[in-house]
Amino acid sequence: MKFTRRQVLAGAAASAVGATGIYELVDQLTSGSPKRPADTVALPEQHLLDGVRIVESNHIEVLVPPLHHEIHTAKLAVDRADLSDAQSELARTLDGLDRDYVPSPAGLGVTVAWGLPYFRRLVPAAARRYLPHDRRANKPVIFDAQRFPSDPAGTRLEANDVAILLRSDTHAHIDDAAKRLHDTKLFDFTSIRRGFAGGGFDGGQSLPKRLAVAAGVPGGELIPDASELFLGFTSTQRAGMGPGRIANHETLGYVDFRGSDYFREGTHMHLSHIEEDLETWYLNFDFDERVATAFRPNLIVAPETQTVRQGPRDVSDSAAVRRDYESSRRIGHSASIQTTSRLERDFVATDGTVYAKGSAIPIRADFNTLDNPFSWSVRADEMSPTPVAGVHFVVFNPTGDDFRRNRLAMDGVLPGGKIPFAPGDRNQGFNSILQTTHRQNFLVPPRRHRSFPLAEL
Amino acid sequence: MAAMKALLAPALLLCVCGLLAAGCSDQAKKAVAAPPAAKALVCPDRPSWQHLADRISAPVYCPAWLPDPLIGAIGNRWNNINSVSPDRSYLESFVWQETGGGAAGGELHVNLRGYPGRTKIPTCRTGGSESRNVPCFADANGSVTERGLTATLYTVNQDADEWHALLLWRRYGNLYTLSEHIAPPLTYNHVIRYLHQELRSLVLVRPSAAT
Repeated sequence: MKFTRRQVLAGAAASAVGATGIYELVDQLTSGSPKRPADTVALPEQHLLDGVRIVESNHIEVLVPPLHHEIHTAKLAVDRADLSDAQSELARTLDGLDRDYVPSPAGLGVTVAWGLPYFRRLVPAAARRYLPHDRRANKPVIFDAQRFPSDPAGTRLEANDVAILLRSDTHAHIDDAAKRLHDTKLFDFTSIRRGFAGGGFDGGQSLPKRLAVAAGVPGGELIPDASELFLGFTSTQRAGMGPGRIANHETLGYVDFRGSDYFREGTHMHLSHIEEDLETWYLNFDFDERVATAFRPNLIVAPETQTVRQGPRDVSDSAAVRRDYESSRRIGHSASIQTTSRLERDFVATDGTVYAKGSAIPIRADFNTLDNPFSWSVRADEMSPTPVAGVHFVVFNPTGDDFRRNRLAMDGVLPGGKIPFAPGDRNQGFNSILQTTHRQNFLVPPRRHRSFPLAEL
Repeated sequence: MAAMKALLAPALLLCVCGLLAAGCSDQAKKAVAAPPAAKALVCPDRPSWQHLADRISAPVYCPAWLPDPLIGAIGNRWNNINSVSPDRSYLESFVWQETGGGAAGGELHVNLRGYPGRTKIPTCRTGGSESRNVPCFADANGSVTERGLTATLYTVNQDADEWHALLLWRRYGNLYTLSEHIAPPLTYNHVIRYLHQELRSLVLVRPSAAT
């Protein structure tokens, strides 16, 4: 029995660069900002980012996310009596950022998401009246986060009032936004979470590979050179991301607004931090098993392929996942989630947009991180200087329950029944190499109500 | 210690030259400039490896160098596995373990295998309730050449080679492997450097003519 596993390895990288300092390498390792479309507009939705570039990888369209990402979580430093002034001040600050930076990766993307503690504590009556209701789940679209079957018992379920997601190709833009937000004195910040994205789509080594190696993360040297993710595959292919406004509350008819348009063009956001055991992934799973684990069993792809087609015609339904399980005793990460995350039939939205069968519903905004688990936190045990490979997982779904269904499917809880797996089973997608450390659900109001939603009522 | 001696020798020579700077002969300068003579590799326990080669009736590779404190002598305190299977394949495992935490703890573990009469990668069982057949050595990651011996690097390996980086080569109609555990105090890159050095230091031991 080897005694040298994750816990021991944590010490091995201790002499390497700390996680916070390592992000400075992102700018040093990239030759300026990637080319971006010129014309961008501020959409009514906060969660949608215009001006995202599309490239081809393995003849598959792939979205190029912003290079830099930060999330600042906070409790509010205001009480009910201050709400009106606070709402005006934050609105002015956010409007100022909109004026100074185009809302795209070339400028700055700002998404202000509000946690249930905010609604309960500061606007309880309005929240009871106006929070959108999920028709399928028969409950509000936002609820307290839960642990899922594959989560460790120690996964922290957070209770922040607000989370602010900042995205840009230029780190100075994020720094400026963060300073302006901190200067408002409206927030008692609880954590800062940093990370990066950037596949080697233009040739050369990708950021995840270069930063993992520079940080001395165990297994970093084994990441394929051009990989967009630490885990060796491309995750932002266009067909795998919800198109257009599909993740808006209103689009798929999941939500009852209860007679008000207040939260129309809003969405739900789930935020979690997940550690990735790269050394186990690359030393214990050969390429074929990594493909089976990440996508689905019995899928044949050319060796060293990183971008694997996940279009509407490649989607697995529950029956297909069960068939694969019967033959291989395993389920793939993508295939199991697709049973709930893809449209079962063509859908015509109220604005006339046709969303084809097999379209993805969630819009992911996750990013690679070396935080352990955060760059900064009010809690001393949440900011170790030893870098760890992971992901700050950010996903927008029409409702919290929609996310919940997707996440349960990842654990083998499929529509129509559960495939029995022990927690962390090697045959259950990625679960044996992932550890979720934190979770929380948020509501993302439309841009027009992004500042202290419902406070004016 | 051998490594320390290797570092000390040129340093001493430089000191001597420094002391005799004015009169340091051309001959001495030439001695400094000349490429070092190739050191003969010495199998640390030739009889035991000879015995192994004779036992399986096939050539084996004796490691003249292993990371300190390991010594490639079959039967010594570091040789925790000395195994020959009915099909004549062998596994020689050398391991040092220190279970203390921090810098004091760690493991050095080197395996040498040989599969006489076969060149195909063997099949292993993954174990557990859903055990299945997989190649014992998988995920080729390029090749390594040292002293004319070209080996393929495999990163996903099974059984005693699990968590090891492994070099595999074919010679004389046989399959051979050399692997080392990626574990503190070694990083992946460190293990790769050690594997180069170990491959470079292999001494071929052929079966005795009489056997």
